[in-house]
Amino acid sequence: MNKKAGPVNIAVRLLLTLMYGVPLLWIVLTSFKTSADVFSTESAWFFRPTTAAYVNAFDGDLMLAMKQSVIIATSTTALVLLVAIPAAYGLARLGGWFTTIALGLLIVLQMVPQTASVIPMFQVFSNWGMLDQTLAVILADTALLIPFAVLLLRPFFRGVPIALEEAASIDGASIPRAFLSIVLPIARNGVATTGTLVFLLSWGEFLYSVNFFLTPGKYPLSALLAQQVSAFGIDWPGLMALAVITSVPILIVFMSTYKQLRDGLTVGAVK
Amino acid sequence: MALTMDEQPTRKASSAPALRRDKNRGRNRLYFIAPAAIFLAAFSFYPLLQLVRMSVSKVTSITLNSSWAFTGLENLRKGLEGEMPDALGRTAIFVVVVTVLGLVGGLAAAIALRGTGKWSTVLLALMVFVWALPPVVNGSVWKFLLGDAGLFNTVITGLGMDTIPFLYDQSWALMSVAFVNSWAVIPFNALVFRAAILTIPTEVFEAAQLDGARPWQEIKHIMMPAARPTLLVLTVLTVVYAFRSFDFIYVMTYGGPGTATNTLPFLGYIQAFVRYDFGLGAATSVVTVLLVLVMAFIYARSIRREESES
Repeated sequence: MNKKAGPVNIAVRLLLTLMYGVPLLWIVLTSFKTSADVFSTESAWFFRPTTAAYVNAFDGDLMLAMKQSVIIATSTTALVLLVAIPAAYGLARLGGWFTTIALGLLIVLQMVPQTASVIPMFQVFSNWGMLDQTLAVILADTALLIPFAVLLLRPFFRGVPIALEEAASIDGASIPRAFLSIVLPIARNGVATTGTLVFLLSWGEFLYSVNFFLTPGKYPLSALLAQQVSAFGIDWPGLMALAVITSVPILIVFMSTYKQLRDGLTVGAVK
Repeated sequence: MALTMDEQPTRKASSAPALRRDKNRGRNRLYFIAPAAIFLAAFSFYPLLQLVRMSVSKVTSITLNSSWAFTGLENLRKGLEGEMPDALGRTAIFVVVVTVLGLVGGLAAAIALRGTGKWSTVLLALMVFVWALPPVVNGSVWKFLLGDAGLFNTVITGLGMDTIPFLYDQSWALMSVAFVNSWAVIPFNALVFRAAILTIPTEVFEAAQLDGARPWQEIKHIMMPAARPTLLVLTVLTVVYAFRSFDFIYVMTYGGPGTATNTLPFLGYIQAFVRYDFGLGAATSVVTVLLVLVMAFIYARSIRREESES
């Protein structure tokens, strides 16, 4: 590999640094400004002459939204893993036309736009009297992410040699037991990567929340942000403060899982 | 977005007894799949069935939970004579822009960041972090940056030019949202391309340098061929990502100004939840699902092709 970077290489890196660094920097900077500092021509700040965006942002509503985000993201992640792990393992071992069809269906489900599935789901949950319930959003998010999780997990389970399970079964272990004590520990990296991504995605999901919750009082952070950014007369420092608050858990998850994420994401591609 | 590149079960070299044994092995694991199958039947396939039923019925917010009058293809006709063709055209432009920018940008980033230097490492981590952020966060900041008094227009007016209505102009808005969408997908594409480039043995580069290859020759004759097998699958994934994308549109323009950023999936949403014509929205969405079926077919074929090539 060329040791010294050419001028084109440096230019590309510089451009990328600007493209990805500046927006991030801007969120943080703006969140610490007063509305007057952002731009005096903006009419938004007339509505809320704030002194500090964070102090203003931290009220009961925000705490409630944060709680909702935590409940939705953790429940969804747990539920998705609970259902997707055995399914991915089963599909990794089964093979044949059954698996081909199942994988095909999962790929189709994963590609269906969320804007299409939200329409009938709204009707179904309305019919079942489940609108405005957090459970409805958790179930919808879970259904959204199961195909993704199964497809991502399956190669990890395929990577576990079946001979290990056969050895266990000779020792008298049942299939579920062999799965839990041998296969699952070996595939833990895949489970961790998938769990992380499912958490990130359910933390950011807002379309189901915005539509299934009938009152903004129950919105998670992502939905609150989506609602405020599409409102007229945006209070930018407040919005950016909300964006930072929404992103902090992502930063924590990201920092503790980055290496795994970087390598796990491309596992199918390098194989 | 979708990101699994998976080997298809097309094992050719297994003998008949081994195959049978494989089958028997698998069958007693069928119950592992049951929970997922039941869950998806209730919360994915049943809703999809309802979507189809709604698309051939007259459904408004008032009649949502009562019985629907069957109207056959009336909704579809209304859609096709109305906004659907325009939305389809916009979707095509949107998908092409996002895919081209996303792939070219992803490959450029992968080549620029293939090294292990500090700048490359930190920049790659930064990009992946941005990719991991909720789209609603990224959309918010871009709405701010592209606003009339945002950073871009501050720079532009500072250079003595007029402000550009990035998000408020009929022709600019779609391009702006497409640009931000490709910005959001470049880190993932870079990661996949980078993984492909990293599989090239260092000896290949050493040999090339002995032969006096210039950097762009290395890119053209070594790195791009290495990235080619993943290109097909990644192209389909990026097309699908662009097609289903709604979050940046929702946050940055909400389909506007007017109908300028109503792609087909977003149009269905607007028809159902803003205009409360659930039947019409469902009909539009059924068309998007049909397009998805076509893409899924191409995707499955491209995986198989990649398998046989590698």
